[in-house]
Amino acid sequence: MPEKRIVLGNCGATDPNDIETYLGKGGFKGFIKARDRLKPGDIVDQVKKSGLSGRGGAGFPCGLKWELARNAKAKMKYLICNADEGEVGTFKDRYILSHDPFGLIEGICIAGLAIGARQAYIYLRAEYHFLNDPLCRAIAQVKEKGFLKHLDIQVFEGAGSYVCGEESALMDSIEGKRGEARYRPPYPQARGLWGQPTIINNVETLMNIPHIIANGAAWFSAMGTAKSKGTKVFSVSGDVSKPGVYELEMGSSLKELVMDLAGAVDIKAVQVGGRHGNIIPGHMIDIVLSYETCLGPGAVVVFNSKRDIIDIVHNNMHFLNDESCGKCTPCREGTEVMLEILGRLRGVEGAAGDIDALEDLAQTMALASLCGLGQEAAVPVLDSLKYFRAEYVNRIEQSLFLRSYLGEELSKSKEGER
Amino acid sequence: MGNVNVNIDGKKLRVREGVTILEAAEANGIKIPTLCHIKDQVPTGICRVCVVELERSRTLVGSCHTPVSEGMVIHTHSPKVTAVRRVIVELMLTAHTGDCVNDTNAENCVLHNLASDYEVGAPRFNVKVPRFYPAEDSNPYVRRNLSKCILCRKCVRVCASIPGKNILSVGYRGFRSKIVAGFDEALLSEKCRDCGKCIEHCPTGALSAPVKV
Amino acid sequence: MTKETSSITSGRAELLPALKRELKKNGCLTREIMDTVAGRSGLPLNEIYGVATFYAYLPLAPLGQYVIKVCRCLPCDMKDAQAVIGGIKQELGIAPGETTADGKFSLELVNCIGACDQAPAMLINAKLYGNLTPQRIVEILKSY
Ligand SMILES: Cc1cc2nc3c(=O)[nH]c(=O)nc-3n(C[C@H](O)[C@H](O)[C@H](O)COP(=O)(O)O)c2cc1C
Ligand code: SF4
Ligand code: FES
Repeated sequence: MPEKRIVLGNCGATDPNDIETYLGKGGFKGFIKARDRLKPGDIVDQVKKSGLSGRGGAGFPCGLKWELARNAKAKMKYLICNADEGEVGTFKDRYILSHDPFGLIEGICIAGLAIGARQAYIYLRAEYHFLNDPLCRAIAQVKEKGFLKHLDIQVFEGAGSYVCGEESALMDSIEGKRGEARYRPPYPQARGLWGQPTIINNVETLMNIPHIIANGAAWFSAMGTAKSKGTKVFSVSGDVSKPGVYELEMGSSLKELVMDLAGAVDIKAVQVGGRHGNIIPGHMIDIVLSYETCLGPGAVVVFNSKRDIIDIVHNNMHFLNDESCGKCTPCREGTEVMLEILGRLRGVEGAAGDIDALEDLAQTMALASLCGLGQEAAVPVLDSLKYFRAEYVNRIEQSLFLRSYLGEELSKSKEGER
Repeated sequence: MGNVNVNIDGKKLRVREGVTILEAAEANGIKIPTLCHIKDQVPTGICRVCVVELERSRTLVGSCHTPVSEGMVIHTHSPKVTAVRRVIVELMLTAHTGDCVNDTNAENCVLHNLASDYEVGAPRFNVKVPRFYPAEDSNPYVRRNLSKCILCRKCVRVCASIPGKNILSVGYRGFRSKIVAGFDEALLSEKCRDCGKCIEHCPTGALSAPVKV
Repeated sequence: MTKETSSITSGRAELLPALKRELKKNGCLTREIMDTVAGRSGLPLNEIYGVATFYAYLPLAPLGQYVIKVCRCLPCDMKDAQAVIGGIKQELGIAPGETTADGKFSLELVNCIGACDQAPAMLINAKLYGNLTPQRIVEILKSY
């Protein structure tokens, strides 16, 4: 399947600094239709019927979430666009924000109408500070056109924390607290920001909205698989000749993405990042990409046969350990212990019980962590142990041999001294 | 609010809607361990030792904060739950650099007791640099030995619930998290009075009343 | 300036923006600054300290005028971010976590900055540089 650019359709085709170019391409038609011809309930209905699911990682049905927020009774409701994009290997939201901010703002405008929010935030990660001013200017242009009478949009910048992309931590961060996860229920759509019903959607999710409203739910749900509708934008990096952002219909294969489009050869494994991701060994490259199989936020990192799997998992763990919020025990302590074990394995200093310990820790973290970060940390460990166990076993054997060899050498040299 | 039917460890129960799984279990004589929970305060779900198995849920759920709902089937001590609790306690002991063997007060340590209940011996795990802090004796009312702290945050919460107090917070993040006073400094006696609430709630020997000489 | 300081308004909601404004003005968050923010927001110092130390981009100690943040995560690491770090070390004579004697540059290793398509990548203050090589580093640093 070739690329199918819907979300990215206007990227490169319009000028991100000039709303007129966006309007010239049919921009804000979806919004005008939603505002003038549809009731809020109808908008929610359309989104529900389209089968759109969240693109931030969890794949939760977007329309269902909106309906809950819409039906919640409250004076104030909030809408948050999650532009914290911190997953290692994702950069699609950066690409969208820099090339088509108007598409996103139109999506936010429509979502605001649908759920009855009067205040929206775009939570932008601190690393994307360079996008803050352009985004604010784009919002100002939309306001000038009179499309923002119902809604105020503010850009809220983070301060360097991956876990703040997790929806509950994100809300704590906006509330001026440490960005730590909260337990659920209550879910944000019932009690979110400052205790009010709140909808949090990823940038890419919201980018789909104007197209669904303009072209109809049936048009959208005709694309994809049984449970994953529409397209997905992937960020591809690692051992590929053409790293970058690719948009494919849901249900395309990993092979099409990384080999045909991104030009990967000699693949040892591919990491599809996130809690709902996996490490996929080269021989399974035909796997279909959808929420039924494996799909997080769409971070795809390719490893060729020269890469060491333990190095890869260690680097993953280093990141997650550094970004753990530290609130719950399994993740705070578990990532630290796993890092210690993986660090030793990397330095050929493994011990006999290491594999068991990694497995026990991963199970515990996947089952008992408070949020997706701790659960996510288990994924690369369990997958690599599933597909590349021999490498761990070898490394431990090498370690044991090295230790006994060095031990003998040491005692020999001591004997020599005597 | 009405009542709902739940099944806990095979017992069919009718409990008030809105109570947590922990409350429902306790009211019916089923004990679930907790470390961070303070009765009648808003739960936090930090320590995770109270997790239970909820049928049809992908993960275990924290019983201290999950409200019951109609038809829930819950296992509080299934093999899966016990295995997870053991690893969590083992993790707490790993980072816990206190010298508890010689501690005369060890039988009052909730963590210590939980470890023996779950038959957790010396932990198998290691960390590169344990959380070690010198014990702090500067305050006449509270002795702090943060090397024994398991970051349950009970002290932070009870202190904040006393009007005009709120002198403790969590600082830093991840494994390096630490309970801090002021600008991460010694607990000042002009701010801290002898209410003893934090000592009362601390599940380990991290906070104690100074030994009078 | 008065307008800016007065905008450290009360309450939590303004805390992060207020800390960021102070950071922009002063380069780091000292005890004095946190005390001021505490006074104005009505929050205790320990709370402010707890929030400030949570976030990676809110330094407590002064940094150089230009902060170089090199990504050390997997996609950049695979494209030899180590060589880039080595190049910077050689050019400026500082290791990660250090600041040049003239206070011009600081070097930090950071988590994924969302530029893996241009790996290896770095930020200098807010400006993004991708597809780095040790040679390009020299040119880039000269332009500062
Ligand atoms: C550790 C962690 C980090 C996350 N980071 C992001 C992020 O950067 N952007 C995002 O959209 N969602 C992120 N999520 C997912 C959000 O919690 C949430 O599911 C999502 O924003 C919902 O939007 P959607 O339904 O449109 O996908 C993260 C989740 C976890 C557990
Ligand atoms: S899983 Fe990790 S990031 Fe999430 S709440 Fe627990 S400690 Fe924080
Ligand atoms: S008692 Fe429930 S998480 Fe600690």
